[in-house]
Amino acid sequence: MKTLLAVGAAVLCAVPFVGLPAFYESFLYLLLSAIVLATSWNLLSGYSGYFSFGHGAFFGVGVYTTAALTGKLGWNFLWTLPLAALTATVLGVALGAVVFRVRALRGELFALLTLAITFVLATIALNAVDGGPGIMVNADIPKLAPTASGVLYLLMLAAAALTLWTAYAMFHSRFGTGLFAIHDDEDVAEVMGVPTYRFKLAAFAISCALAGLAGGIHAIFVSYVTVAETFSIALAVNVVLMSALGGTRHWLGPAVGAVVITILLYAFTSGNAAVAGRALTGLILIVVIVAMPAGILGQSLKYFRKESKPRSKVEEDLPRQTVKISGEPLLVVRGVAKAFKGVQALAGVDLEVRRGEILGLVGPNGSGKSTLINVVSGHYAVDGGSIRFEGGELVGKPAHRIARAGIARTYQIPRPFPQLTVLQNVALPPMFGQVVMDRAAAEREAWRWLAFTGLEAKAHRLPADLNLHERKFLELARALASRPKLLFLDEVLSGLTPSEMDGALRLIRAIRDQGATIVFVEHVMRAVMELTDRVAVLTYGKAIAEGVPAEVMRNPDVVSAYLGAAHV
Amino acid sequence: MPSATLLGQSVLSGVFIGALYGLLGLGLSLSWGMLRQVNLAHFALAFLGGYLTFQLSGRLDPFVTLALIAPLFFLAGLALHWFLTRFSVTLLNTLLVTFGITSIIEAGIQWFWTADFHRMENAYAAVRWKVGPLFVSLTDVMTLGFALALSLGVWGVLRFTDLGKAIRAMTEDAPIAAAFGVNERLLGYLVSGLAAAVAAVAGLCLALNHTLAPVQIYAWMGVVFAAVMMGGLGRPIGPLVAGIVIGVSEAITMAVTNPTWAPLVSFSLLIAILLFRPARFS
Amino acid sequence: MKINRRRALAAGGAILSAMALPGGLRAQGKPIRIGSTLPLTGPLASLAIIHKVTAEICVENLNKRGGLLGRPVEWVLRDDQSKPELTRTLYEQLITSDNVDLIQSPYATASILAAMGVAQRYNKVLLHTSFGIPRLAKYDMQFQTAGSPFDPENVWPNHIFDAAAKLPKPPKTVAVVTSKFPSVHAISVGAREVLKKRGLTEVLHLEYEFGNRDYGAIASRVKEANPDFLWGGTNGIDPVLMLEAMKKIDYRPPAQVHLFPAPGPMLKMPEAQGSLALTTFESHAPFTDDPTIAQFVKTYAERAKEAGIPYTSVDLQSAIMYSAWQVLETAVTSTRSLDDKTIGAWLKKNEVKVLFGTLRWNGPQNYVEGADLYKVKQLQQGRWVVVHPSQWAAPGAKIT
Repeated sequence: MKTLLAVGAAVLCAVPFVGLPAFYESFLYLLLSAIVLATSWNLLSGYSGYFSFGHGAFFGVGVYTTAALTGKLGWNFLWTLPLAALTATVLGVALGAVVFRVRALRGELFALLTLAITFVLATIALNAVDGGPGIMVNADIPKLAPTASGVLYLLMLAAAALTLWTAYAMFHSRFGTGLFAIHDDEDVAEVMGVPTYRFKLAAFAISCALAGLAGGIHAIFVSYVTVAETFSIALAVNVVLMSALGGTRHWLGPAVGAVVITILLYAFTSGNAAVAGRALTGLILIVVIVAMPAGILGQSLKYFRKESKPRSKVEEDLPRQTVKISGEPLLVVRGVAKAFKGVQALAGVDLEVRRGEILGLVGPNGSGKSTLINVVSGHYAVDGGSIRFEGGELVGKPAHRIARAGIARTYQIPRPFPQLTVLQNVALPPMFGQVVMDRAAAEREAWRWLAFTGLEAKAHRLPADLNLHERKFLELARALASRPKLLFLDEVLSGLTPSEMDGALRLIRAIRDQGATIVFVEHVMRAVMELTDRVAVLTYGKAIAEGVPAEVMRNPDVVSAYLGAAHV
Repeated sequence: MPSATLLGQSVLSGVFIGALYGLLGLGLSLSWGMLRQVNLAHFALAFLGGYLTFQLSGRLDPFVTLALIAPLFFLAGLALHWFLTRFSVTLLNTLLVTFGITSIIEAGIQWFWTADFHRMENAYAAVRWKVGPLFVSLTDVMTLGFALALSLGVWGVLRFTDLGKAIRAMTEDAPIAAAFGVNERLLGYLVSGLAAAVAAVAGLCLALNHTLAPVQIYAWMGVVFAAVMMGGLGRPIGPLVAGIVIGVSEAITMAVTNPTWAPLVSFSLLIAILLFRPARFS
Repeated sequence: MKINRRRALAAGGAILSAMALPGGLRAQGKPIRIGSTLPLTGPLASLAIIHKVTAEICVENLNKRGGLLGRPVEWVLRDDQSKPELTRTLYEQLITSDNVDLIQSPYATASILAAMGVAQRYNKVLLHTSFGIPRLAKYDMQFQTAGSPFDPENVWPNHIFDAAAKLPKPPKTVAVVTSKFPSVHAISVGAREVLKKRGLTEVLHLEYEFGNRDYGAIASRVKEANPDFLWGGTNGIDPVLMLEAMKKIDYRPPAQVHLFPAPGPMLKMPEAQGSLALTTFESHAPFTDDPTIAQFVKTYAERAKEAGIPYTSVDLQSAIMYSAWQVLETAVTSTRSLDDKTIGAWLKKNEVKVLFGTLRWNGPQNYVEGADLYKVKQLQQGRWVVVHPSQWAAPGAKIT
């Protein structure tokens, strides 16, 4: 494989020196620039799902940076390339720094913003940089190859190599994994420890930088730039089409799509069949995507992918430590308040969780149990109060920092990352946990927890293939994989059959035996009484009692809170 | 400082062009919001409608033509929906498929009518009224009327009828709606057909007010998409309101400063609204 | 006009080639391949079809006359999809892979510049029809065939204001409204200088983005400014949209120019009557006095109709393409060579009579400074007629 790659690279580098007609360099240049643009778009939009309609704008910024610096100020063209990339990056980061903070600006609204930015930047470039007549770029092209086309080809080849390497490296790193998790469920990703804001910003910056670089080179290739031809929505649409055609969920997918579409468009440049060619191109696109819905590459990989066998045996046993309930407080919640549109969900909750215990958290529906978990895990910001974990204040910290401190949770309705396999789901938290692991180590860890929850056989399936009971266990495995110090279990038993429930209870005890402190939110009273060391009761956003289960349940306030309220 | 007449006339002009954005955006918004289909071919369809209106304008009144082609387009919408559901095309892939359809329709238009500009002669274009110091032309009023009637009509149906409730339920959660006896498949066809029929109306307005050329199919995409996303997917009044905001802000910019800055103002305004009020107009 | 030896030779060459092979004689041997691209699809397709039909007629006629140097001519046309980067690659393909003997003009400034870079690298002569910004043409074997001057931003406004001065009511105030389309914008910038020098008053200056859709505000501002003359720095469909918007507010400028309107859609608009525009050629005498040209006008009308082009008269666009083939034919026939260097050198020293005048390339960057072959036409009763300068005016036509 490596030799193949090396030979391929050598051949590509040799193209300008073997005396081929310059047309081939020129055509390969078009292919490569399409690869750079589609792949760089995919780094943000395919990986993280933030669909940018403004890739043309950042490409255009690169074009205009180089064009203005070489064409108007006479700079050396090579020196302008880093600046072209930088200018695009700065603009992207500035936009991202504002946009990525606003939780509402996801999905189509991000697309809208980037579309709007295209118009804004185009207008600025037209009136403030260009002035109207376009810019002629007469650059002295460095003699790196026998012909000018050869030089530009080599530059774009380098850009494409850089882009593909970046895409490959990101795809296989924590960074890429985090982005894919953001794509599937950003809130959960953040709670699992993925620094979503930073990752999105970094992905956007890299995406813009590569687009800007391609733009800089392209300015010389076309040698005369105008705003109308540069800042086009067409480019944005094209990169989307290329990526979708190749497959957005693989690092190489957009490149495959770029090659196919560029060749397709070029195939119909004969003067006599231009219009028919356009219709045929459309038809081919439709047929291909209907036949290969996951994209050409995505679908081929699906076809060829071998089901890798589940590990026969877990190499190590799980760590086993006998933890005593020390009585030392692990989590201390004081006066925490949270209101939604005037409804007071938490009205000054006080709560203490002690190291090593299983604390039952009960209360009628709407009493604030889930809100409390959401607040402690950092998903919601509190309106007031303090939350101290191992003596450190959590209030004001982003969710991923809280996860990293050692707090994990499950969701009442399982929220697995739908497009990651079961194994990938479970391997994610260890990569972003207290001890940062690389992917291989994280997967080893994940296998352990899959074995622990009995999901080994389904490791390579997608969550949609699991039944509810298995999905609940996936939730558990994922929460455990980061080896949390404190684990919130949000109604893990609901919807399970009695026998499944028994299995789950055994599992939870086993978890505690491994050293985790557990907050167990549950409606099933039998389980609460059986499992918990202490119980806290929440009603109307306040903790009204805390203590040994049997005692608490006799507390008159608790009884009255439960009377009239439907409970199991 | 521009005179009140100039400002008034410019605002009117912005409202009318905004109405056309809204009309083009309505079908797009419905199929995107309710069927999870981003239908790029909507623009090609609208222009095809415009061309057909133009072609028949010598023999038929544009409104008679509309009465003929709207049902045809409704059928085209059904066919598209059948195709997209038959092959369970994902949201991202609907972009590809409908882009392919756009290419085919564009090529068809270019083959039949050439790439040259066409302009429809019509008696309506000559009618205009003077309201105080301002002028209003019939074709513009028709566009605004269509946009208002269709947007409000669809809104009303969604809001007040059982059919509308069923459609909204389907949009919220299709499987659950189906469990409650909502015929999801039928509604999907209905929405898709309706969206395509609206393209026929938009086509008529394009032919009445603008010039037809195959390349124009792409010229409207950016701004109409902006209006659709701004207005909220699946919200019938959204694209019209957002379209008018864009149109009027551009028109006022053109009235008070150099018109070349117009897109900067309107799209910066959009960005500002998004950042400071992400809940938008809805 | 003085007839010198070179010109006589050139014209003689053309006649010779036309006469040499009376019917029956066919061109023989390996065809001469001439390559070019046109934007057959994409934004510029509306004009490309005119160029394509014209070129096809030219090649056909050429072969009927016995081809070039006794060999048949084959035109290799590719579609650049209105994209300059594709134009560049396609010209490289034509030259280095298809190995064409000669190249011919693509369409529009950006594509011509892209092709010019390729031509320069391979030392090919590039004739071009539609290059908007002459100062950017820095290659010494590029030759324009449209009769445009080196300084259109100076020459063309003067043509137009000369023509305007002949109006029944000569304008004193001008509103300059221009799109930012590069070439027309440059001319409009020049017009602002020119009108000042001529003692006219600029009462309004507006620039808008090319592709603008809403002309309501612009129309209202022109109406408020109430100029004697509207300078429309416009091309394509913009003039129609602008006039529509003016009609809607019941306004019609007393006189106006629109630089390069799409000719068809304006014809039937009552509001457009009287508009001035630039052209090189219109299908009327004296242009059609030459029977060959008259025949071309007739053939073009037929072919254009077959191709579905709505406007079937030969005008600016068709004429500049026709002249490109006239220049190519004359140069090859006169030098009896397909060598680009020879042809280029010949063109620099000679002149060629084309359907709208005599082309020369003896000024800066192979242009002529201060002089051109452009005329001013006016839309009169649904027909475009040249009204200025008077030696090219349609018989009996007067600027109104």
